[in-house]
Amino acid sequence: MSGDAMDFARAEHLPNLREDGQPADPSGLPRQRQGITPQMHGRYPDYDVLAHADAWDEVTRERVVGRAGRVPVLRFFTAEEAAALRTLLDLALAQDAEPRIPVLEIVDSRLHEGRRDGFRYEDMPDDGQTWRAVAAAVDATARERGAASLLAADHPTRVGIVDDLAHGRLDDGPWSELNSARAWSVVMRGALSAFYSHPWAWNEIGFGGPAYPRGYMRLGAGPAGADPHEGAEAFSRDPVRDVPARGLE
Amino acid sequence: MSLRKGSGPPRDNDSAYLLDVHRRAVPGRDTMRRYADADEVDLCIVGAGAGGSVLAQRLARRGWRIVILESGPFWDPDRDWVSDEAGQHKLYWTAPRVIGGGDPVELGKNNSGHGVGGSMVHYAGYAPRLHPSDFRTRTLDGVGADWPIAYEDLRDHYRRVEAELPVAGQDWPWGDPHSYPHAPHPISAAADRARRGALAAGIQTRVGPVAIPNGTFGNRPHCIYRGFCLQGCKVNAKASPLVTHLPDAIAHGVEVRADSHAVRVEVDGTGTRCTGVTYASGGTLHTQRAALVAVCGYAIETPRLLLNSAGPAWPEGLGNREDQVGRNVMVQGAPQVAGRFPEPLRQYKAPPPEICSEQFYETDPARGFARGFSIQTVGPLPIAWAEHVLADGHWGHALREYMRDYNHWTTLGALAELLPRPGNRVTLADELDDHGLPVARMDYTQGENDRANIAAAKATLECIWEAAGAQDTLTIDRYAHLVGGCRMGTDAATSVVDADHAVWGMANLLIADGSVLPTQGAANPALTIMALSSRLAERLAAGRVRPAPARTAAA
Repeated sequence: MSGDAMDFARAEHLPNLREDGQPADPSGLPRQRQGITPQMHGRYPDYDVLAHADAWDEVTRERVVGRAGRVPVLRFFTAEEAAALRTLLDLALAQDAEPRIPVLEIVDSRLHEGRRDGFRYEDMPDDGQTWRAVAAAVDATARERGAASLLAADHPTRVGIVDDLAHGRLDDGPWSELNSARAWSVVMRGALSAFYSHPWAWNEIGFGGPAYPRGYMRLGAGPAGADPHEGAEAFSRDPVRDVPARGLE
Repeated sequence: MSLRKGSGPPRDNDSAYLLDVHRRAVPGRDTMRRYADADEVDLCIVGAGAGGSVLAQRLARRGWRIVILESGPFWDPDRDWVSDEAGQHKLYWTAPRVIGGGDPVELGKNNSGHGVGGSMVHYAGYAPRLHPSDFRTRTLDGVGADWPIAYEDLRDHYRRVEAELPVAGQDWPWGDPHSYPHAPHPISAAADRARRGALAAGIQTRVGPVAIPNGTFGNRPHCIYRGFCLQGCKVNAKASPLVTHLPDAIAHGVEVRADSHAVRVEVDGTGTRCTGVTYASGGTLHTQRAALVAVCGYAIETPRLLLNSAGPAWPEGLGNREDQVGRNVMVQGAPQVAGRFPEPLRQYKAPPPEICSEQFYETDPARGFARGFSIQTVGPLPIAWAEHVLADGHWGHALREYMRDYNHWTTLGALAELLPRPGNRVTLADELDDHGLPVARMDYTQGENDRANIAAAKATLECIWEAAGAQDTLTIDRYAHLVGGCRMGTDAATSVVDADHAVWGMANLLIADGSVLPTQGAANPALTIMALSSRLAERLAAGRVRPAPARTAAA
C-alpha cells in the first residue's frame, strides 16, 4: 500500500476517487491492538468500545455485550443454503479471514424467530423465502458459469456473480422468477444490520457506541473534539509522541 | 419574546411536572382510571400517537371520559429501551404490509410507530410549521389541493404546541415568521460544516426547530447529546406524546389501554352512528362502547381500519361510499447527500436535527416545477450509514472502506414536497395478519413534478457540499413521513372528513392524525398533526363540532 493512501486527512483511499473504484488491500491497515475488529484491521487500533460497557445502562449493556458474545446455531437455513449464503455474505461484507462477525447466524436467528421489517414488495415472497431463493439462484448462476456451486467456484467467478447481483444485472435463468435488485436489497438490509450492530464493527469504524447515560461533552471536529473515551484514528497521531503518551516506553 | 426564552411553563398542560426526575416511565400508570368495556365513554380514541394523545389531553381537562386504545405496548424507557440502533426495532409497526406501484415506499422503521407515543417516539425531533401557502396550493400553484382551513386557523395551536414540546430554535424567517420558546441548542462540528457550506453557497440556514428543551422545563432532563433520537429518547429530553401530553392526560382521568389492537369500528343499524370500537387484547375480542370515536392510527392503519369496518350500511368500507378512503396518501422525497472532510466530524454525536433551510420551500417559477423542498442535517448511525454507502453502489471491500471512513462524513437530507395523487392509495391486500384481518397494501407512484423536485433538492445538497469543499460525496434516494389517505375537504366526493375531522355521512366518527392532511408541504408533519388535534379539541370542547357527544361534562 502506498503511503498517501494511508493519510486519512486526504481522501485518496476512497473508492470513488481511485481509478479502479476499489480501495487498497486492507492488509495494509493498522492491526487491532485492543479488542476485536472483523479481520483485526481498522483505523482505531487502540479503541475497544466494549471496554466502556460499564458506562452504559444495564439493559443496553446486557443486549450489546450479549450480542458480541453470541454465535447462534443455524435453525432456519439448510446446510446447502447456508454454504451458498455464507460465501455470498463473506464476499458482500469482505469478511475474508477470521475473526468474522457471524452475520449468517444472526440473520438465521432473526428469520427463525419471525422478526419482520414491516413490508413486502408485491412481487416478492416474504423475507425468509427471498433468502432461500437467493441461495438457490446464486448456486444456479455458479453452475451456469461452470462451477458446482458458489462455494466451489473460483474467486473471480464468485466476485463476478456478486457484482452482477449488486448491480441488477441478473434477470434471466435462475433469476427470472425473482426480482434480483429487490432480492439484493433484502439480503443486504439484513446483512448490514447484523454486521453494523456488532461492537466489533464499531471498533473498526470508531463509532462511540451506546453513550447512555453518559452522553457527550465535546461536539467539535478533529482529535480535540473527541471525548476521552472515543477512539483516536491511528494516523491522526504523531507516533513519536504517541508512545510516551500511552505510557508504553 | 426573546427575554422569556427558556422560561414559562405551557398553560393547561402539567406533563413536564408530572414526570419523575429520575425514572422515565410515565407516573400514574398503575393508578390510572379504568373504564369497563360496557361503560359508554365520551370518547374512544384509536392510537396513542401525536394526534390521539393531544386530543385526549385537551378534552380530559374539559371533563371528558376517554379511553385510548393502543395496539402496541406502554413503554417504560428505562426497562424496555436500549441505547442501540438495532435493538429498537420494537418501536416500529412491523406487522406485514404489501407495497407496490411504480415507486414503492418501504415501510416499517422509517415511517411508522407502534406503542404508546406513536412514531414521535423515534422521529428525529424536527418540529417545523407548515407555511401559509401549504393550505392553498391549488389556488396559488394549480397543484395539490386547498385545505378547508387556513394557516391562521392553526397559528395559535402551533404556538401552543411549540410551548408544550417545547421547541428550541432561532427566530424563524420563513413561512409565517415566528420565534421559538427555547433558544437554539449548540450544534456539532458535523452540522457546522453544513452551515458553513450553505453560507458559502449563498443559502440561509437556521438552528432548529428541534423539540428538545434547552433550559429548564419541569422534570424533563436536559439533552445529553448522545445522538440516538431515532432510537427513542431514554433521557426524556426529546418531545413525544409519551412525555408531553399523556402524563397530563392520565392525571385527568384518561385510560391508555395498551396492547389493544382495534379491529373494527362498530356502527349501529342506522348506519350513521358508531357505537364503539372492537379490539383484540389478550387473545380475545372486546368492544369498548363510546359516544364518539376518533381514529388516530396514521396514514396506513387509519384507512385500513375504516376499510376493515365494512358492514351493511358501508359495504365498501366505513366512510368509503365515494371511494376516497386511502387515496392521496403521500410521502416526502427525502434524498440524503453526505460530504467527506479531512478532519473527523463524528456525525453520530448530538441530536441529528440541528440546522435547516426553508429557502427553497416555496414555488420558484424559474425552477420549472411547483412547490419545493427544505434542507436539514441528519446523523446516520452505523446501520443507516451502511445503507447510505450501499445505495451509492458499494459492496465488499469498497463498502468496508467507506464505513471505516464514517467519522469523516457529515450528512444533509432534503424533504421534497410530493403532490397528492388519487392513485396513490392504501387498500386491503389478500394477505391476513395475526388477527386474521386483511393487511394494508400501499401503492405509490411519483409524478413528473415530484421527480423534478427531488432532483433539484439533490442538486442543491451537492452544491452545498461542493461549496464546503467536500472531498467526496455519497447519495441515497429515500422517502420520509407518511400523511394523507383520509384527507379533509369541503365535499364528500373528494375527501373523507370535513374541516372538523368528521367522517362524511357519520354523526360521531372523527379522524385526527396525519391521514387528514390534504397536502404536506416540505415540513416534518408531527407539529402540524398535534396542532390539528389541538384545534379540533378546542372546537369539540366549545360544542362547535356537529357530532359533539351527548354527555360532555361542563367545562
